[in-house]
Amino acid sequence: MSTPIASFVVLSGILFAIGTAGVLVRRNALVIFMSVELQLNAVNLALVAFSRMHNELDGQILAFFSMVVAAAEVVVGLAIIVSVYRRRGTADVDAMSELRW
Amino acid sequence: MIDLVWLVPALPLAGAVVTLFAGKRLGKTAGWLASALVACAFVVATGVLLDLVALPAEDRTRVVHLFDWIRVRIFAANVDLLVDPLSVTMILVVTGVGTLIHVYAIGYMEGDPRFGRFFAYLNLFVSFMLLLVLADNYLLLYVGWEGVGLCSYLLIGFWFERPAAASAAKKAFVTTRIGDTAMLVGIALIFVRFGTLDFGSVLHGAGPVLAPVIPEGTATAISLLLLAGAIGKSAQVPLHVWLPDAMEGPTPVSALIHAATMVTAGVYLVVRSHVLFEASEVALVVVLIVGLVTALYAGISAIGQDDIKRVLAYSTISQVGFMFFAAGMKAYAAAIFLLVTHAFYKALMFLSAGAVMHGLADEADLKRMGGLRRAMPVTATAFSIGALALAGVPPFAGFFSKDQIVAEASRSQGVGVWALALVAAFLSALYIARLVFLAFAGERRSATEPHESPPVMIVPLGLLAVGAALSGAALGLTVDGGLARFLEPVVGAVLGAPGGLSEAALAIVSVVLALSAVAFAWIVWGSGKVDWLALRAGPWNSLQRFMNRGMYVDDAYAAVVEKPGKAAGRGLRTFDERVLDGAVNGLGALVRSLAAAGRRIQTGVVRSYAAAFLLGAVAILVYVGVRL
Repeated sequence: MSTPIASFVVLSGILFAIGTAGVLVRRNALVIFMSVELQLNAVNLALVAFSRMHNELDGQILAFFSMVVAAAEVVVGLAIIVSVYRRRGTADVDAMSELRW
Repeated sequence: MIDLVWLVPALPLAGAVVTLFAGKRLGKTAGWLASALVACAFVVATGVLLDLVALPAEDRTRVVHLFDWIRVRIFAANVDLLVDPLSVTMILVVTGVGTLIHVYAIGYMEGDPRFGRFFAYLNLFVSFMLLLVLADNYLLLYVGWEGVGLCSYLLIGFWFERPAAASAAKKAFVTTRIGDTAMLVGIALIFVRFGTLDFGSVLHGAGPVLAPVIPEGTATAISLLLLAGAIGKSAQVPLHVWLPDAMEGPTPVSALIHAATMVTAGVYLVVRSHVLFEASEVALVVVLIVGLVTALYAGISAIGQDDIKRVLAYSTISQVGFMFFAAGMKAYAAAIFLLVTHAFYKALMFLSAGAVMHGLADEADLKRMGGLRRAMPVTATAFSIGALALAGVPPFAGFFSKDQIVAEASRSQGVGVWALALVAAFLSALYIARLVFLAFAGERRSATEPHESPPVMIVPLGLLAVGAALSGAALGLTVDGGLARFLEPVVGAVLGAPGGLSEAALAIVSVVLALSAVAFAWIVWGSGKVDWLALRAGPWNSLQRFMNRGMYVDDAYAAVVEKPGKAAGRGLRTFDERVLDGAVNGLGALVRSLAAAGRRIQTGVVRSYAAAFLLGAVAILVYVGVRL
């Protein structure tokens, strides 16, 4: 028999929690970025698991969309981070607060 | 020749265009060109007159169609020129006197930096004035009416560097505007009632059947509204206040616009529309009262003036009042007769006064003149002829024209009105004799050495003096004399109502009054035996000030109209600044303060944004979960 759905959901939840914590506590933009990717993949995992449970392909298709969007987002995001790093010599997000009041 | 009548207003208009655009380059030629064009217009007008006289009397009304102007459904107004005895009389006066004043102005305005533009305005004025009197419908008349108002404004304010001139121009424009607005309403009412604005249909076609055609109330309303326009333009009480101030303009302007032509446009309008006025019970009575009150008021005020031109300005108001008075008595021919003779003698006096000022380095105060007859014999003679004409001493022009009006008063209005008319005539003689004695008699009081004016100014004076001396006898030796008979197709036959004193007795009374006024003026101001300056400073001070200030009418207007108007203006300004602007500014300030508080949320710390984002997402999930 296949793995019960609960395992997937729990794993997905753990991954999402790790990602969320990483986004909230880390200051390095690159690490925050990786944490966001972790959150996205946790969601993808849940989508695929539920898709299999229901014997439908909708969830898996949505997961592909999410991966494509994530890839595009990574391209733009990394470009910004690299550019910021080159300009200021740091990728610390707390140092980037010029646009606040 | 009658078909060529369009040349009469077109020639000065062409002159205005040329001198306006090429005035600088033409130099002094601009003045001669402008004068020549008005003179040509006079020649054409004379030709029209000869053609008209050749026609039988009842056939002397011709309409010259130039082109269709406005045609909107039922409303139509064409540019048609009306050639009839009245309009021909007017164009002859305007072009004839206008030519002489143009020539005079060449000398008077010499050396002015805006010489060319002056003649452009002057020509434009003549053109509009001719359009006014030649128009065959009320709308075209109104075009001319406003056109002369514009030119009057431009010319009063010609020396606009002087604040007094600029504000006098504004005052003249605004004051006449009050009357003009009423007049426009009257014209609209004519269209509503008659469905047309053509003189032919409104006035002549209607003729005696007019009274049943329109209700009397409508006739009264139309007449009084038109009269309001006439009162404004002709400087009658209570809209007369602009004319004395208008003397800030150059003297040729005062002579042409504010004595000979434009201010008489109101008289022309009343006489032209007399059918409407007669259809109303009260309109002509109002005309009569306005005229008589104005004649008396201005006559009294003129005695208190020290500025030579202001005396003449009040004199003009008074004389035009006489014309209204005559029109109010249905003595239209007498009104036009006085208009013509007045144009001669008042233009003559203004131009002489200009020559006096020219020779005295622009001194206009009578207190600093005196004894000028020796230094300026020609000017003094010319002015005296004008003054005798105004005073009503035979055989000069004013005697015939004014005597006809006074005689008409004695015939048709009863003793009271006649006596008031005689008082007004007496006042005319008094103030003008005072002016002559103060300026030309006695010893010299001026600081500068007076000198006679150049020939270009003296020759027009001489020609006008001939007109002032002879035009009365030539045009109206008797009540139904030349001019009256000529005007008969337009204004009807002179009634010659029976009763009253005989012609000779009336004439003797008038002459005796005029001469006694002159004698009185000689004793007080001419003989040197009466110290009038001391009397003025002493016991007669308040009377002098009363007359000098024009019976405080200006001050009353300042208190009743100007002050509340300014106060209301200030109040509205405060309302605008505080309430309206305050509301808008308050709204802006509110948004600003809200934003100032709101922007504190933006800390710039990315992780706090992420936390807020997470909390928000969780809150939505919880909400959705609870809902489910």
